[in-house]
Amino acid sequence: MTMTYETRMVWQNRLLLAPALVLLACFILIPAGAAIYISFTNEALSGFAASHPQFVGLKNYVRLFSDAGFWNSLIVTFAFVFGSSIVGQFVLGLASALALSRPIRFRRVFNAAILLPNAVPEVVAGFIWISMLAGGQYSTLSRIVGLFGFAPQNWLESVPLLMIIVVNTWRGIAFAMILMTSGLSAVPAEVYEAARMDGATPQQIFWRITLPLLRPTIFLYMLVSTAGTIAIFGLIYTLTRGGPGGATEIIGIYIYNQSFTAYQLGYGSAVAVIMLGVSVAIGAVYARVLKVQV
Amino acid sequence: MIGMRKFTRGEATAYGYLTATLVFCLLPFLWVVLASIDPNASQFLAFPEGITADHFIKIFSANKGGRWFFNSLVTVGATTAIVVVVGGMGGYALSRSEAWWKRPFLYAIILVRVLPPTAIIVPLYKVMLVANGPMGALVRSIVPPDSTRSAMQIFGFVDGYLGLILVLSAMQLPLALWIIKTYFDLTPRDYEEAALMDGANGFQRMRRILVPLAMPGLSAAGLLCFIGAWGDFLMPLTFISSAELQLLPIGLFRAFQRATRVDYGYLCALAMLYMLPAVVAFGLARRFLVQTFTGGIKG
Amino acid sequence: MKAIVLRAGVTVGLIAGAILAAIVISRAGMGSRDTANSGAATLTIRIAEHQQPRIDALNKAIPRIEKQLGVIIEVVEYPAPEKDYLSKLLTELGAGNAPDLFTANFDSDVPDMVSAGYLAPITAEVKAWDGYRQLFDVAKKLSTSADGQIYALDSMLLVQQLYYRRDLLDKAGISTAQPTSWKDLLDRAREIKAKTGKYALLLPAGISWGPGAFNEGFALFVPGSKTPQIANDDGSLNLNGEGVRDIFRLYKTLIDEDLMPIQPLLGPEPWMIPKYTMFPAGDLMVTTCGTWCYIYDWGKGSRNPVPEVTKNVGTWAVPGMDGGASVTISGSSPWAVNAKSAHLDVAKKVLLALCSVDAMVDYAGLIGNIPARKDAADNKDFQALTELVPVLENVQNGTFLRSAPGYSVVSEGVARATEALLRRQTDAAGAQAILVKYVNDLLGDNAVR
Repeated sequence: MTMTYETRMVWQNRLLLAPALVLLACFILIPAGAAIYISFTNEALSGFAASHPQFVGLKNYVRLFSDAGFWNSLIVTFAFVFGSSIVGQFVLGLASALALSRPIRFRRVFNAAILLPNAVPEVVAGFIWISMLAGGQYSTLSRIVGLFGFAPQNWLESVPLLMIIVVNTWRGIAFAMILMTSGLSAVPAEVYEAARMDGATPQQIFWRITLPLLRPTIFLYMLVSTAGTIAIFGLIYTLTRGGPGGATEIIGIYIYNQSFTAYQLGYGSAVAVIMLGVSVAIGAVYARVLKVQV
Repeated sequence: MIGMRKFTRGEATAYGYLTATLVFCLLPFLWVVLASIDPNASQFLAFPEGITADHFIKIFSANKGGRWFFNSLVTVGATTAIVVVVGGMGGYALSRSEAWWKRPFLYAIILVRVLPPTAIIVPLYKVMLVANGPMGALVRSIVPPDSTRSAMQIFGFVDGYLGLILVLSAMQLPLALWIIKTYFDLTPRDYEEAALMDGANGFQRMRRILVPLAMPGLSAAGLLCFIGAWGDFLMPLTFISSAELQLLPIGLFRAFQRATRVDYGYLCALAMLYMLPAVVAFGLARRFLVQTFTGGIKG
Repeated sequence: MKAIVLRAGVTVGLIAGAILAAIVISRAGMGSRDTANSGAATLTIRIAEHQQPRIDALNKAIPRIEKQLGVIIEVVEYPAPEKDYLSKLLTELGAGNAPDLFTANFDSDVPDMVSAGYLAPITAEVKAWDGYRQLFDVAKKLSTSADGQIYALDSMLLVQQLYYRRDLLDKAGISTAQPTSWKDLLDRAREIKAKTGKYALLLPAGISWGPGAFNEGFALFVPGSKTPQIANDDGSLNLNGEGVRDIFRLYKTLIDEDLMPIQPLLGPEPWMIPKYTMFPAGDLMVTTCGTWCYIYDWGKGSRNPVPEVTKNVGTWAVPGMDGGASVTISGSSPWAVNAKSAHLDVAKKVLLALCSVDAMVDYAGLIGNIPARKDAADNKDFQALTELVPVLENVQNGTFLRSAPGYSVVSEGVARATEALLRRQTDAAGAQAILVKYVNDLLGDNAVR
């Protein structure tokens, strides 16, 4: 081989990356590109447009921006993502990872318990929480607060947004915990020892050493979790169908409600593309705030 | 949190917090457990008046529960294997590479997850159908006509193991690439260079050093891939039609007997069966999640 | 380089091993199929079906059809919930890969599928079929699309009426005569409330109930209202008329005077408590329902049956606003043939076979719907289904609602409008406005006339 070391490394990298690229290109990038194209058409799954889709330019987008339901949905989605993903799951996941990094007994039990909410499909998780929250006085939560003397209520009606945030937090702690655990373990033990020898308090160690070292992992978590939470549909639809009155109509449900009766793929894709744009913006914000280089 | 002097108090906080979290996470499952053995299971939490194993039995006798379970294990297992290997290689390459397109590429693949599956499922189906044609021709030319159907069940892109595995792998790959890349970013290159200096002949020794080094990252990626693919509903629903190939989530639909009636006992029994492998996978992976790399450079 | 290849080889080996195991297992299950196929190239027709009772009924009817036509029929099971079923089916239809036969709803699906070109016309085959003469007129009219062609054929009919607790009304001394008008019905409901203190009349409503708010509630009162048909001849929808407003007013009266249960309708699975708990327990006296209710909801297939259901539960036709009465008939799940099927002729024959008397009786026994053919009355097995026999006799007097493309948007709109009424957010005129706005938003401004 007459190649230099650098050239060899470049080729090696390309070879290593090739299988991933092929898979991603075929099954993700091409359909995603198609979806973006579809957003400029009136393609549908049924009806006349199904056999004769037409290019309609920005018509879907215009319809989108003039729909109050869309803006409401955007706000609801932001609140939902902030509450469950950025605050709820992250805090609880990080705390769990930290707590479990100590010598604790029954570690396996705690681990399994935290994992379980993520181990069932969305639909089942939805039914589980319907059992907890719906039905007025029959719901488990009502019964629990009844023990403390509070009135039973229809939780999904009185505080719907709060409830879906709680449910999604419940569901996603495991993901945050797994990522944080992996990130924590990349911090060598020597760093902690050196800090302790220098007389640092636990709080100082956490805020000045652990957290900064976790920044890339946190960034990864935020990015992925935000993207995933935006795309949630089944869980919330089972719980509230987006009601009452659009109070929990996250963007996924909005798309569904708008396009399911006529299976308007074009319109649904336009909304999806907008969300994609929004996520790119959010991702850039994360990168800035967390000062992370990709 | 991490300090020797406040040992007892820190530990107490940890236990307290973990217990509260445990209750929060497990409480909703109480209904699932009780309903799965309750002959009169309803939507609401109730102590069963009698106990029955009927719901569980129904999964395996009246329905093909065993078969679904096997299919899920095979497809998701293969998916995880592919993702860990391909993602491992790719993540390493991404971490060490300086290409200009690295950043946009990484962002693109993660943010694509924002597109709801319903938006890409239709174009994806068409892609698969297109791939299925030549595959079918290939299979038919190699395999005797009697076994064409069986062979296509394995190698078909639509209604076949191969197609589903590839799609699931592609879905889980972005996250895996990110996790592994991030992990390698945090790993100093000293180890690799030390190994090279030692005359690491070929990349074999690199592997022997890199893989254990990356275990926490690979395990996290593998575990999340398994859980993600295990819970995927939409892909098996769309791409699999034959009864013999159905995965576990499909069994859930059987609980919806009519448009208006849900068999909660059966649903919960199936849910319990469903959770099992995820927990097992977690138990297996957990060991590797927290492995720290000791020694090495100094030695 | 060597190591990469080695690793790749090991991975491929592992995967191959797993696949090998899969081959072994799948061949174990596939054995019989292969031999059957290899014998004489026998044609396989694939049918999509969903929901357990329908699958059971189909499996019962299939052996006979297979023998009769000399084909193999494979039932591909699709997910039970309607939306998931349609999503998968439509995706496959769009890609050209769907099964040969499937069911599709006349109102919500067929018109759109026709304009998408997914369904093969079966007009000629149906008219030449000997069962054609035996079909009820209603069935014939329901099957005929706007362009005069037949694309889907119903084997079963849904007959909906008002079902009441005869035993409990008798005990309370309330008349069980057929109500003669909406006012009479409301007065009867008020009497029930006054004399027994229980809920009087349930009409499905609200978003949770979904399409049922229209199909099992609102729609039943349309024929007797000032707007007897919603779909105009030109395909637009007549939603602005007084008739629609009057029906909403009927709902509002029931809600305001506490004659129907409201709380359950706001939660998930709204039918569970009123129909499966309250009605058998006697806390609800009258509700809309269909013939299947005698079997599923309150009869032999039920978990909470009403004892001696045919004696204790009677039926009233739905009164018209100012007199008259109607029994609304709709198609249950018509069969349609995939336009891109590789075996069009055979598929069409299978479809007609599914509309034979024997097949219909199979379905009737397991599901409780009414056969679409008059000669079913002569079938011995059908006559054993005593709950259904009298209803079959009356089918020719039934009415039905014409549908138009986009009809499913109407049902969603009605669900939303009735939800607003349930929550006491608006009055009848306001509910109508909600309906009209929703339809206009989704179908364009020319949809409502």
